[in-house]
Amino acid sequence: MLPTRALRDCLDGVIPGVVSTCAADGTPNVAYMSQGQYLDRQHLALSYQFFNRTRQNILANPRATLGLIHPQTAQQYRVHLTYQRTETTGPVFESMKAKLAGIASHTGMSGVFRLLGSDIYRIDRVEVVPGSTVAAPAPAMDGLSALRACMERLPASPDAESLLDALLDGLLEHFAIEHALVMMLDPGRSRLYTVASRGYETSGVGSEIPLGEGVIGVAARERVPIRISHMTSEYAYGRAMREGAEQRGLGDLLETAIPFPGLAAPGSQLAVPIPGAREPIGVLFVESPSDMRFSHADEDALVALATQVGGLFRLFLAELELGEETQPATGQPPHPEGAPLRVRHYPANDSVFLGDDYLIKGVAGSILWTLLKDHQALGRTQFSNRELRADPRVRLPDQSDNLEARLVLLHRRLAEHRACVQMEKTGRGRFRLVVDRPLELEDMDPGA
Amino acid sequence: MTSGISMNAGSGSSDGTPSQCRALGCRVDPGTDLVSVFFAEHQAADLLRDVARSGKLAVVFSDPPTHRTVQVKGSDARRVPLAEGDLARVAAYRTAFLQCLLPLGFTEPMVRTFLDCPDSSLVALAFTPEAAFNQTPGAQAGSPLVLGV
Repeated sequence: MLPTRALRDCLDGVIPGVVSTCAADGTPNVAYMSQGQYLDRQHLALSYQFFNRTRQNILANPRATLGLIHPQTAQQYRVHLTYQRTETTGPVFESMKAKLAGIASHTGMSGVFRLLGSDIYRIDRVEVVPGSTVAAPAPAMDGLSALRACMERLPASPDAESLLDALLDGLLEHFAIEHALVMMLDPGRSRLYTVASRGYETSGVGSEIPLGEGVIGVAARERVPIRISHMTSEYAYGRAMREGAEQRGLGDLLETAIPFPGLAAPGSQLAVPIPGAREPIGVLFVESPSDMRFSHADEDALVALATQVGGLFRLFLAELELGEETQPATGQPPHPEGAPLRVRHYPANDSVFLGDDYLIKGVAGSILWTLLKDHQALGRTQFSNRELRADPRVRLPDQSDNLEARLVLLHRRLAEHRACVQMEKTGRGRFRLVVDRPLELEDMDPGA
Repeated sequence: MTSGISMNAGSGSSDGTPSQCRALGCRVDPGTDLVSVFFAEHQAADLLRDVARSGKLAVVFSDPPTHRTVQVKGSDARRVPLAEGDLARVAAYRTAFLQCLLPLGFTEPMVRTFLDCPDSSLVALAFTPEAAFNQTPGAQAGSPLVLGV
């Protein structure tokens, strides 16, 4: 049987593999491999960085032999391969490119190592080389039972916000992952926004990154997990994004008004798409100050968790569509006391400011403005997710849009801001608007 | 070349299937420039078979901390008996390679294990270098080196 786990460990490890090939005239060539990636039981990919002798040989004679040493057991393997094709775009290429950037940075080879392509090989045979081995150390954690324990809590979550809490708490408790966040995709704007995080100085809820940017953006765009074992500035978030936004003007400045919460000096990062019906609904992202913190097994576990979270989000959506119509409760008209707070809404980007403080924009901003208008005009305090979904004023990009995630974002921003407006859950898919100060609503460009 | 660096060798079968084996040190004979490379026989079965057929051998030498890498090729490789002092050379090679790898985070049991081989299983392939190539990663990788320099 193919030692899948061992091969993945070898390709993840710190001992470079050795590739031997033969030219058309039979002259052998031996070279060190920069990076290999396990794809499936029949395939692996090797990085193509230079048009070297190995490259010339496999184009003339597709057979290659890859020598590997297991990083824990010292068991040697020879993997007999046949070159199939080279990919220069797509998930395999992008995940190898990110990984290689980390390796290059770690080994002082930035600027030298550049991925030209991912050479896809068929695995013909794996040979276990006879020789001495050492016993592999017992794993510090049983990944499968940690996955089970973490997963068991998820379906009990009544809503999106508690689901994300259960996920991030579970990662800390069962996988000892201290720095994690979830970003959701805003498909209309090709951006991801943070809805939940753990282990950072500020939550960063509401912070945004463009699709395709860094490990999270690439994972979402390519729909593939991206795992970097040594960090590289090439995939870092931070100052460059902010400076770019400053040059583009105020609209983009708001996107960086809430800083991305990531570690300043991460060693390892892993971004896993949360699958939706078509495109990913978001990305689960974890990081650590240590190099080589996340293994292939961690990636497996996070993919399993993200898959379940994606399924539960779809379930929430289905429940919303099938749910009972709630009657808008009129309730007691609220009469808060105190000096009124000016609340401004800019329709161009649906940004909402409480006093002078920027709070939120986009769909979540549009939801808040709708709630406040109804509260002021009709004295309403009770709302349901379902009515918001159907409300044309909310301007959801399309019916499949993730309203749940927008509400999580809005709820958290209001809570973190200790705003005079808060949302309180009153049941599944229902909430109450609590306003403890008179508001002066001002639409800044009502004609727009 | 004879210091504590990583050594791997390759050859090929008549149908173009590459063979490969990690080497356990080498000796360069002064005067003749003949290079003898040591292997564990039980690990090198395919390589020994292919070399016996074609005489073709490629050996890559790499210094892990600096990535400096050189490949040497010959076409007159053949199995030769171990010479006096070769067992000591292999033992010295293991220690030198270990010293090279310890600062990189490798453990002694790990390195000793993958270089382990009973003395009775050691074999040698000798060849005359015909071509050498710089394989240090970078744009210059693959460029020929002038032998003897």
